[in-house]
Amino acid sequence: MPPLPTWTSLHPLIIHFPIALLYVAPLFILAAIFWRRAREGWSLAALVLMGLGTLSLFLAVATGEAAGRLAERTPQITAALERHESLAETGQVVFSFLTLAFAILVLVPLVLKWEPRAWLRQTVSVVFLFAYLVGLGQLTRVAHEGGRLVHEFGVHSIVTATGPDATTPSPEAPREEPHERDDH
Amino acid sequence: MIRFRSAFLSPLALGATLLSAAGPANPTPQTGTLNDLQAAYNGESNARATYLAYATKAQKEGYAKAAALFRAAAKAEEIHAANHAQVIKTLGAEPKADIKAPEVKSTRENLQAAIKGETYERDVMYPGFLTQARKEGKVDAIRTFNYAKTAEAEHARLYQEALNNLDGWKTQNASFYVCPVCGYTSTTRPQEKCPSSFTASARFLTIG
Repeated sequence: MPPLPTWTSLHPLIIHFPIALLYVAPLFILAAIFWRRAREGWSLAALVLMGLGTLSLFLAVATGEAAGRLAERTPQITAALERHESLAETGQVVFSFLTLAFAILVLVPLVLKWEPRAWLRQTVSVVFLFAYLVGLGQLTRVAHEGGRLVHEFGVHSIVTATGPDATTPSPEAPREEPHERDDH
Repeated sequence: MIRFRSAFLSPLALGATLLSAAGPANPTPQTGTLNDLQAAYNGESNARATYLAYATKAQKEGYAKAAALFRAAAKAEEIHAANHAQVIKTLGAEPKADIKAPEVKSTRENLQAAIKGETYERDVMYPGFLTQARKEGKVDAIRTFNYAKTAEAEHARLYQEALNNLDGWKTQNASFYVCPVCGYTSTTRPQEKCPSSFTASARFLTIG
């Protein structure tokens, strides 16, 4: 079994979760709009995806900060890191708000056992989808800035197979060389 | 021995007391991260003492803003030394510093010496230490060296700014902002977070 990655090297692994989950979620909302019989199921699935995506976005920001503290710095890299970090934090707020709003839209009728009129439900869903698309635009900018850091500035997360410094290997013990991840 | 001494002493000649602090740090950058940490700890501890002496001199000469910058930089060096010390301890050693009496000249000359010291740390010492720490996979050492290197770059820039317009640095009530985690030093409080350690700007220390 491969060794567990350290907190500082998790960012390249974590970032794929918000991207995948948050991009797929609106497809489920679309399915809920067009496949009315299974509307509740699609909507709940979309909500779960959004919730998990938003949680992983928080995790991505936290691990990104840990990785950023180890990144080779130049004024250009520091500026790019700041931009990436700032956009990611805005993304956290945007998707927290979107997820909360969608939770209200999906759960309130279920809890109250209230069936809104079809035109109202469809209109609200379409408006929400447009708002969500704006959020996805924000997420795309975050990912693009992260990509620039890796591919334009050559910033890589440090992956240590043996954990943090506290584990000082004996001179005799063979140790795995640290390496850098290419994905962002 | 002669080669060793010349490699060892040439930066000293350039940067007077500051470089005497930083000089032993990099006779050869490939001496192992623990040695590098000890050298960096010694350098930062001496730099702190030197900057405090420079601040007193600048204050006496009427350069209040330059004095504030020296005090802020001294605080930053203190933070770097504490960070290095912490990593040294996690590696099972005790941090050691040999504090030398700083050589204080005029504020203009002190700024020139400080620029040389910071430039050396930014361009030679810490990059070498970082290369070694990355090779060894010492994450905590990479972090503390990175923090110091980024802050020293800012110090060099600010000292140069002061030297370019020293008469303008007589301003009273000038303040600098220092990150309590990484020592990043700035003339303004960052909008949200420290660009180096991502510490909340509200936690920044105000040094005047």
